[in-house]
Amino acid sequence: MPETVVRAISLVRAYGVGHALVRAVNDATFSVDAGGTVALLGPSGSGKSTLLHLIAGLDEPTSGSIEWPALGARQDLRPGPVGVAFQGPSLLPPLTVVENVALPMVLAGADEHDATLAAHDLLDVFEVDTVADRLPEELSGGQSERVGIARAFSGSPRLVLADEPTGQQDRATGGRLLEAIVTLAVLGGAALIVATHDVAIAERLTARWVMRDGALRTEELTCSS
Amino acid sequence: MLVLTWLGGLLHRRTGRMVGQSAGVALAVLMLATLGTFFTSSRGTMTTQAVRAVPVDWQVQLSPGTPVAKASATVTRTRGVTAALPVGYADTSGLSSRNAGTVQTTGPGVVLGLPPDYATTFPGEIRPLVGATTGVRLAQQTAANLGASVGSTVAITRPGQPTTTVTVDGVVDLPAADSLFQSIGVAPGSAPTAPPDNVVLLPDAVWHNLFANAAPGTSSTQIHVQLAHDLPADPGPAFAQVIGRAKNLEADLAGGGLVGNNLAAQLDGARTDAIYAELLFLFLGLPGVIIAGLLAGVIASSGRERRLREQALLRVRGAAPTRIVRLAWAEAASVAIAGTVVGLIAATAVGRIAFGTSSFGATTGQALAWAGASAVFGLTLSAVIIVVPAWRDVRTLSVHDAQAAVSTGLGRRPLWARGYVDVLCLALGGLIYWQAVKSGYQVVLAPEGVPTISVSYFTLLAPLLFWIGTALLMWRIGTALLRRAGGWLRVATRPIAHRLAGVVAASMARQRRGLSRGLVLMGLTASFALSVAIFDTTYASQSRVDAQLSNGADVTVSTAAASGLPAGIADAVARLPGVSAVQAMQHRFAYVGNDLQDLYGIDAATIGQATSMSDAFFANGNAAQTLQTLGSTPNGVLVSEETVHDFQLQPGDTVNLRLQFASDHAYHPVPFTYVGVAREFPTAPHDSFLVANRDYVTRATGSPASQVLLIRTSGSPPAVTGEVQRLLGPASGATVKDIVTEQRITLSGLTAIDLAGLTKLELVFALLLAAGASGLVLAVGVAERRRTFAIASAIGAKRRQLGSFVWSEAAFVAIGGLALGALSGLWIAQVIVKILTGVFDPPPEHLSVPWGYLAGLLVAVGVAIAVAGSAMLRAIRRPAMAVLRDL
Repeated sequence: MPETVVRAISLVRAYGVGHALVRAVNDATFSVDAGGTVALLGPSGSGKSTLLHLIAGLDEPTSGSIEWPALGARQDLRPGPVGVAFQGPSLLPPLTVVENVALPMVLAGADEHDATLAAHDLLDVFEVDTVADRLPEELSGGQSERVGIARAFSGSPRLVLADEPTGQQDRATGGRLLEAIVTLAVLGGAALIVATHDVAIAERLTARWVMRDGALRTEELTCSS
Repeated sequence: MLVLTWLGGLLHRRTGRMVGQSAGVALAVLMLATLGTFFTSSRGTMTTQAVRAVPVDWQVQLSPGTPVAKASATVTRTRGVTAALPVGYADTSGLSSRNAGTVQTTGPGVVLGLPPDYATTFPGEIRPLVGATTGVRLAQQTAANLGASVGSTVAITRPGQPTTTVTVDGVVDLPAADSLFQSIGVAPGSAPTAPPDNVVLLPDAVWHNLFANAAPGTSSTQIHVQLAHDLPADPGPAFAQVIGRAKNLEADLAGGGLVGNNLAAQLDGARTDAIYAELLFLFLGLPGVIIAGLLAGVIASSGRERRLREQALLRVRGAAPTRIVRLAWAEAASVAIAGTVVGLIAATAVGRIAFGTSSFGATTGQALAWAGASAVFGLTLSAVIIVVPAWRDVRTLSVHDAQAAVSTGLGRRPLWARGYVDVLCLALGGLIYWQAVKSGYQVVLAPEGVPTISVSYFTLLAPLLFWIGTALLMWRIGTALLRRAGGWLRVATRPIAHRLAGVVAASMARQRRGLSRGLVLMGLTASFALSVAIFDTTYASQSRVDAQLSNGADVTVSTAAASGLPAGIADAVARLPGVSAVQAMQHRFAYVGNDLQDLYGIDAATIGQATSMSDAFFANGNAAQTLQTLGSTPNGVLVSEETVHDFQLQPGDTVNLRLQFASDHAYHPVPFTYVGVAREFPTAPHDSFLVANRDYVTRATGSPASQVLLIRTSGSPPAVTGEVQRLLGPASGATVKDIVTEQRITLSGLTAIDLAGLTKLELVFALLLAAGASGLVLAVGVAERRRTFAIASAIGAKRRQLGSFVWSEAAFVAIGGLALGALSGLWIAQVIVKILTGVFDPPPEHLSVPWGYLAGLLVAVGVAIAVAGSAMLRAIRRPAMAVLRDL
């Protein structure tokens, strides 16, 4: 019986008050087991990123509950058990590519040298080891995106969250990238949740969640929900 | 329309940025307005202050035979003359008075004949002490010499005429005796400069009766003149005008009289002070204003990342570069208006607190001019810190770059760095400074009596080049230190960053330009604070030395009477509470050739008990050795360098001085042996004087009288002064001065530059700037990278780990900035003190470092960094996604 990595009940995240109140996530209930791969689908502004941030422990719910039975308390999630690939530029400007990828491991207490070696391996997987010593400002958008994904896998996380991970890749590269993401997650026994517009990506994963106006539509769930 | 919408958005959504920028501009405006108006109003009141100190503006010495009535009419007709009164001067070969059965006799003196309204026309010249304010009056010292008081009969010996007697109606003090009895139209040094010991004031009618038939050459007439003080506020033009009017009068008198121009003499000193006021503003004020402007720039730059994103959005939506720059202008104008208004309001408050006035100038015109100038400065500064970066970004960055909005800025080194402009500036500044110091220049040259004044502006380039060179060199050093992340930086950051030392060092190395910018600002601020503090402390220290020199000791009793101070007074004073040592000193006059000089008779072995004998007083730089040599040579004498040069003296040479003997009051030659050179001596004038052994002078002149008592106190000098005055009584004729009061007078020596007020203002500003710069550099550095810290937090960096980045950078900027600032501050203080030697009297031999203030500065910087760092760490503790959403 696989461990439950994250479990949420009636999760709500609202912004604003009164007439301006917006429920970015509204009454979402779900759970994900170790090894599960989930495609989080939905149009722009539907609440996908907010839900990912709640799952990553980066944001706190307005109401409802969320817990990470296999990972520990919220303050223990990062660095270590949870890796996040953010949408948009998220690399630390003053650190090189390899330093960016090694950083979560160093923050978690790993030896700097060991972390650097592991970071190179990850960069190799995501085809960006050639730019390992460059600064983020010297990368293209696609390269930055791949480095961000490599960093999400830094330190062998047990839950990987990726927000539009292939948005800046061409179709072929995007395909290879997704393949690498899924392979790494599966090999590492990690749960994977990928927020995307791309239905083709969703087809490569074992479960689909669909969000619309903050509501997580459970009827379309196929797995682990 | 878009402009208004944009401004509304900025005010509502970017309140912090607008407030921060406005505060920066307000600080710079505050400094400029306060310092500028302070100096302007000081300079504007210089003429008024100088004029106030002159009791009689002109003393017109009539040539023998010139009809007084005709000359008076000519003087009265002269433009600007408001009052002209003739005053008779007659010599007396001696005065005597019978008192309690004994007859007291004095040496030569002067009898003045004053019109009835003299005292009311020239109130500063005569100060009534006892008895009537008109009639026959004796000068205080004369009354003491004769033992006379109101009602006494005084016999006046008239050369070539029978002795006559008058009855004393009152006793007066003559505060301006030096100018009252000046030698008009006589070359300096050819006649005694000291006022006469004995003075009798008579009503002019009585004087004419007594001296109408005086022997030729024993009486004369002066016309004392009061001028309308409608002079330019600036003492330079006022001086030229007063000189011109005097020459005009002399021409009108056609040889009938010469003008003793007391007013011009006073303005002559004030105009030099006016130039020094400008220089003080340039050296002590302007750097502070520039640093405040840089600080405002740093605050503005903290919003660059966000501003770039906003700019990118505007460009994506089709806004033309000109429109984007126009929006930046709107932001700059808002910031300038808010900053200027707040700055000017704050300046009035500071003015009221520091100087007791909230006016921006001596006149309404000045106030408006400075308010206007400050407003223009505020707008210019806002444009430089907001519009220029926006204009540059819109021209040089693509939309993609602007959207990315993050860059370490590690491109090619700036052009100046590749061209070593910093080294060139320092070398050129050093060359100018060396050349100037080597040639013994004076930055301000105001030849006595000449209306033109010259300022060596070229020399002023030296400190300017040093400031520029120092700032650039700091940047070079900062970037060079941070270039290698793997070496010392990793080791240096380990105590703070622990296991993250490598990452922190790498991060700092890549941000070396930003960190170096902080280092430069911190360094410049520290340098400014240090140089101002050292200058002020050195000035205060020199004023203490000056006061000590002028006053002679903590408390000094002096009399001009040849009979000296009362016998036994030294022992009586020694028994007073608060007195730790007393030394009696003779003050006589002696002719060296035809030059009359002050002669001080001392006990070389014990003089140091009552007053400080500084090594700097003597040419060989060794007070103990010089005094020992003097003491061991009974007829030894210390002379001035000028005398050594004029008379080509060699140690051991015999110098024949003419001293006044007690037996006949006549000057007779006395042989002395030249044993050394004295540059300064307590109570001695700045020019030539002599120091000899008291016992030898006593034996040679037949008079043991001491005219000066030097007192070292263990308590409050003013309190001891009161005790001594009580002991001497009001009729002694002796003057008692203390160092505290004397220093107060010395400090106001720069007639219009209230250096105490300036000091207070500068030191407070410097402290504020240093604390502000250190705190702001840190806060701005973190604020600029809120996104970076938010991302680091999102990938798992704990507060302690984020803190290791913040505190490592803060330590580098603070320690590096303070160290480099200390070095450059010391050097710049040395340069400023050297260049402004003219404001010091005597010139300092070394700088005085205000350790207490510097400790306070360090504490202020430390507290500012701690507060700013903690606040920023609290700010970046917010949930990472909330921060990222806001950015």
